Amino acid sequence: MEAADRLVVRTVRHGGPWVFVLAVVAVGGSVLELALPYVIGRTVDTLITGTSPGVFSGSVIGSVTGCALVLAGVVVCDSLHVWASGSSSAAASAWLRHRAMTHVLGAGPALTRRLPEGDLTTRLGMNAEETGHAPEAIVSGASLLVPTVGGLVALVLIDPLSALTLVAGLVLIVLVLRGFMRDTSEVVAAYQGVQGDIAARLVTALSGARTIAAAGTTESEVARVLAPLPLLRAYGVGLWQANAKAGVRTGVVVPLLEVAVLVVGGLRLAGGDLTVGELYAAARYAVLGAGLGSALGYVGRLARARSAAGRVEELWRQPPLTYGRRALPAGSGALEFRGVSGSGLRGVDLVIPGGVAVAVVGRSGSGKSALAALAGRLADPSEGTVFLDGVPVRELSRRALRRAVGHAFERPVLVGDTVGDAIGLGLAGPAEPDADEPEAAEPEAAEPEADEPEADRPPRLRAQGPDATLVPAARAACADEFVRRLPLGYATPLAQAPMSGGERQRIGLARAFAQGSRLLVLDDATSSLDTLTERRVAAALSGELRGRTRVLTTHRVATAARADAVLWLENGRLRGYDRHEVLWERYPAYRAVFQTDVPGFSDGGRA
Amino acid sequence: MIWRSVTREPRRLARLAGWSLAEALPSLLIGHAIARAIEDGFAAARPVAGLAWLALLGGAWLVAAVGARQSVLAVAAIAEPFRDELLARVVGGAVRHAVTPPWRPGAESVARSTLQVELARDAFAAVITAVRSFAFTVVSVVVGMATLLPAMLPLVLPPFAAGLAVFLLSLPAMARRQRAFLVADERLAESVTAMAGGLRDIVSCGAEGRVAADIGQAIAAQAVAARRVARVTAVRTLSLGVAGWLPVLLVLAYGPGLGASAGAVVGTLAYVVQSLAPALGGLVEGLGVSGVRLAASVARIRETTPLPGPGARRAGTGRGRAVTPREPRPGPRRTRTVRPRDARVELRGVTFAYGPEAEPVVSGLDLVLPEGCRLAVVGPSGLGKSTLAALVTGLLEPSSGEVRIGGVPARDVDPAARVLIPQEAYVFQGTLRENLTYLASAAPDAVRRAIDEVGMAELAHRLGGLSAEVNPAALSAGERQLIALTRAYLSPARLVILDEATCHLDPAAEARAEAAFARRGGTLVVVAHRLTSALRARHVLLMDGTRVRLGTHDELVAVSPLYRDLLGQWTPDVRQVS
Repeated sequence: MEAADRLVVRTVRHGGPWVFVLAVVAVGGSVLELALPYVIGRTVDTLITGTSPGVFSGSVIGSVTGCALVLAGVVVCDSLHVWASGSSSAAASAWLRHRAMTHVLGAGPALTRRLPEGDLTTRLGMNAEETGHAPEAIVSGASLLVPTVGGLVALVLIDPLSALTLVAGLVLIVLVLRGFMRDTSEVVAAYQGVQGDIAARLVTALSGARTIAAAGTTESEVARVLAPLPLLRAYGVGLWQANAKAGVRTGVVVPLLEVAVLVVGGLRLAGGDLTVGELYAAARYAVLGAGLGSALGYVGRLARARSAAGRVEELWRQPPLTYGRRALPAGSGALEFRGVSGSGLRGVDLVIPGGVAVAVVGRSGSGKSALAALAGRLADPSEGTVFLDGVPVRELSRRALRRAVGHAFERPVLVGDTVGDAIGLGLAGPAEPDADEPEAAEPEAAEPEADEPEADRPPRLRAQGPDATLVPAARAACADEFVRRLPLGYATPLAQAPMSGGERQRIGLARAFAQGSRLLVLDDATSSLDTLTERRVAAALSGELRGRTRVLTTHRVATAARADAVLWLENGRLRGYDRHEVLWERYPAYRAVFQTDVPGFSDGGRA
Repeated sequence: MIWRSVTREPRRLARLAGWSLAEALPSLLIGHAIARAIEDGFAAARPVAGLAWLALLGGAWLVAAVGARQSVLAVAAIAEPFRDELLARVVGGAVRHAVTPPWRPGAESVARSTLQVELARDAFAAVITAVRSFAFTVVSVVVGMATLLPAMLPLVLPPFAAGLAVFLLSLPAMARRQRAFLVADERLAESVTAMAGGLRDIVSCGAEGRVAADIGQAIAAQAVAARRVARVTAVRTLSLGVAGWLPVLLVLAYGPGLGASAGAVVGTLAYVVQSLAPALGGLVEGLGVSGVRLAASVARIRETTPLPGPGARRAGTGRGRAVTPREPRPGPRRTRTVRPRDARVELRGVTFAYGPEAEPVVSGLDLVLPEGCRLAVVGPSGLGKSTLAALVTGLLEPSSGEVRIGGVPARDVDPAARVLIPQEAYVFQGTLRENLTYLASAAPDAVRRAIDEVGMAELAHRLGGLSAEVNPAALSAGERQLIALTRAYLSPARLVILDEATCHLDPAAEARAEAAFARRGGTLVVVAHRLTSALRARHVLLMDGTRVRLGTHDELVAVSPLYRDLLGQWTPDVRQVS
C-alpha cells in the first residue's frame, strides 16, 4: 500500500465512531431508497385491485404500513447521514491538521527550504481538508452505487427494454458532461485573466498610496483600476452562456430519459405485460439509475482525497528536528565547528571563543547564511558536529538551546499579537517541559477536547505594557523609540503597526537580544537600517551586549572592520579567519568581496 | 444592497419571470400527463392517446430547457451588475482607505476581498435561481393538482407547508452557525498561513509549543463549528424529509378513498416526488447554503471596505477587538481648496502623535521657510522625518499647532500647489507620457526638457520613448524614482517635498536630480537619505526623535555631536554595499 493510501486509512480511522454510523446509515439508507419505488408501486397495484371507496382491505393496510416504514427509514437515515458525514469529516480533518501542523513545526525551516511557503500553506490547509473528507467520500460514493446500480438491475428485472433505453441515454449524458469541460475552460481562463489584471492594478495603486493622497487623484485612480470592468463583464456573460448551454443539455436529458422509459413501459402496459405500479417503479428506477453520473462524481472526490493525502504525506519526508536532553554547562558561548559539511558548507573547522564578535563575509552563495543557521541549529549539518560551550548542539534540550541562542534575520517575520509580544517571542519559548521525543509526538493525546468552552483556553502571553526584560533589548536594537510612537506603544497590535523593512529588522534584533543569553547570530540583520541606526546597534553590540558571542554575517566593510575577527567564506569553504586589517592587506580577493556595487542604480528597493 | 440589485431594473425581472414560467411548464403538466397517459391511454388500451400525452410531456421538457437557458441568462443579467457594483466598492474602498493615514497598503486583505466578490456573485445568482424556481414550481404544481384532482390538495399542501415553515424558522440559526464556521475556518487558514511564513522565526525562538497551542485551538474551534453545522443540517434534513415524504404516504393511504384512480395517484405522486420535493431541496440549498454565504461575503466586504463618510468609522469599530486604537486624524476631505499666494511654509507649535497613548513624533515645532528656500531634513530613520513631510503636505493634521503654506492652512491648499514624492515611487501601467504628466498636462517640449534636466534621458530612451508602455514591475526601484522625480519636476507646484525620493539612485544621479530641482525654483524640502543632500541645501533640520535642531551645515557641525556622527558615516568613500 502506498504512503498516501495509508494516510487516508489512518485519517478515516480518526473520523471516530461517526464513520461507523455513517457507513451503517449510508448503506441502510440507500437500500431503503432502492426499495422505495418497489413498495410504492406495489401499493398502487393493491389499491387498484383491492379497493372499493372508503373501505381498506388488509393487504392495502399492510402495504401502506410497509411504505410508511420504508419512508421513515429513508428520512431517518438521510438525516443521520448528514450528521455523521459532517462530524466524521470534522474529526478526521482536525486529527490530520493537528498531526501535520505538529510535524511541520517540528521539522522547522528545513521544510520551507524544500517547499515554497505558499505550497506549504496549501498542503496544510486545503489538502488536509480534502483528505479529511475521505471517510465521507468513500462511504457516500459506495452507498450511492447501491441505488444507481440497484436501480439499473431493478429496471432490467421489471422490463429489459426500458433498461436498454436508459443505458443508451446515460451514454449521452457522459458525452454531454465531457463537452461541458471543453466549452468553459477557455472562457474561465480569460475571465480569471481580467480578474488578475484588476487585482494587479489595485496592488500597484495601493503601493502608490502616498503619491495618490498628495496629488488628490483618488477617484481617477479608482477609475483606472476598474477600467477593465466591461471586459470582465463580457467574459462573465460568456461564462454564463456556456453554463446555460451545458445546464440545458444535462437538465433535459434525464427527464427525456424518463419520458422514454414511460413510453416503452406504457406500451408494455397496454400490451398487458406491466402493471401500473410496475410502470411507476420503472420510471423511478430510471431516474435513480440516471444518478450514476453523480455516483461517479464521488469516485472523483475519493481520487482527489487520495492525491491530497499524497501531498500532505510528502511533508513527512522532511524528518523532524530532534532535541536532546542536556543542559548547558557554565560558559561564555564558545562555538566550535568540527568537520561541518552540509547546506552548502564543505568541511568547515573553526573555533570561536566565547564572548567575541565575529563577522562572516563572502560573496552571495558562499555559505554565510548556512553557517549562521548551523551555528544556532536552525538546521543540522549532514556531516560533522557543532558545539556550544563544549556540548554538541544536537544533544541540547530545546529549552537550553533556544534560551542560549538568539537569531536575527535580514527579513524577520514577526509572530505574536502585539509588538511587545513579537519582541518577547523567544522568552515565551518552550512553555511545555522538554517532551521532545525522537519521533514527533502522535497528537492523539494532545488533541484538544473539541467541545472545550473558550474560557478554558490556556492563558496566553499578552504584553500589556512594555515588559521589563524587553525594553533594554528594544533599546539596544534602536526599536524602543519608534515603538513608543506607535498608536498604543508596545501594546499596538502587529496588524495595526505598519513597519518599514528597517523597522521590522529592529524588532527582529530586539527579539534576538532579549532571547539569546550566550550567542547572538545576526544574519545580515542590519542591512535595511540607515547608517546612523546601524552604527548605534553596532555600538550596543560592542557595549551592553559585549558578554555574548556575536556572529554577524555582513556585506559591509564597516561591520567587518569593527569585529574582533572575520570569517571569510568562499564556495562553502573557510578561506580565511583573521582580523579584517590583516585579510584586507594580504588578499586582493578579500577586498574584492566588498566591491560588488554596480554603478548606476543600487537595488535597495527589494528590502 | 442585495435587494436593490434585484429590483433595480424591473424589465430584467419581468424577463426572468417570463422564462421562469416556461421553465415551470413540466411542473404544471407532469402529473396530468402521466395520469392521462395511463388512464386514457395505456390502461384503456388506447396506446396512441398515451403516446400523445407523453409526447406533450416531452415537449414541455424541451420548452422548459429553453426556458432554463434563458433564465440563466436573465439571472446573469442581474448578477453581473451586482458583481460590478461590489467590485467597484471593494476597489474604491481599498484605494480610499489606503490614501488615508497612516497609508497601510494591506494588499492581502484586498486579495481576500476580491475573492469574496466572486463568492458573493455566485451565491447571489444561486439564491435568485433557487427562490424563483421554488415559487414558480409551487404555483404550477398547485394549479396542476387542482385541475387533476383538487381533493388531493389537502393531503399534500399542509405537511409541505409545515416543513417549509420549519425550514424558514430555522434559517437564522442555521445562518449563524454557517457564519461561525466561515469565521472559524478563515481564522484557521490565517494562523496556518502565518505559521508557514514564520516557521524559521518560530523555531529559532523555540516558540513551537506556543504556536502549536494557538493553531490547535483554531483547529479545534473549526471542528466544533463544523460539527455544529452538521447537527443543525441533520435536524433540518429530518424536517424536510417529513415535509417531502409525508404527502406521498397520505396520498397512498387516503387518495383512493377520496376517489383517485390509480392513474391519478401515480400522477399526484409525480407532482410531489418529481416537482415539489426537488423544488424544496433547491430552496433549502439556495437559501440555507448560498444565501448564508452571500450574507457572509457581503458582510465581509462591507467590513473591509467601508464607504467613506460617517458610516465608515462605525463599521470598523465594535468588532470584538479589545484594543481599537484611535486612528490618527487624517486631513479631512478637501471640499474647497485654495491656491496659496506663494510657497512660504510656516509651522507654529506643531505637535503630532500617532495615537493618544503614543509618544509624539513631532513636538512643539516652529519652522518658517521663506519662498525659494532649500531645506534638508536629516536624522535617523523612523523618527519623524516622513511625518514632517506629511504634515507640510497637509496629509496629516497636527494634534496641536498649525501648518500654513503661503498663508493657507496646509489641508486647504490646492493639491496642484505642492507636490510630495515619497520614497516608494508610484509608477503605473500606462505609457511613459501618461506617467510623467500624471500631475499636470505638459507640452511635449516641456516633457523632453524635464527628462533631460532630471537625468532620465537614458532611461526614457531604453523604455522606448514617451509613447512606450511602462511595466512598473519590470523597473528597478531607482528607475521608478527617476520617473516620479521627472513627474514632480513637470508639475506647476511651487513647493516640492522629496521624502527620500532619491534613495535608490546612486550619489551622482541623486546630485543631478537635486540640482535640477534647485534650478527649478520654488521652495524645496528634501528629506535626505545621504548627508550629501544636506551639504547642498542652505538650511539643515536635524531630527532625532522630538529633539530638533535647525541650522546651516557649518553651524550643525559645530554644535551637534549627532550631526558629526552622521557626517562621519556618510563621507562618500564609505559606500553602502548591498
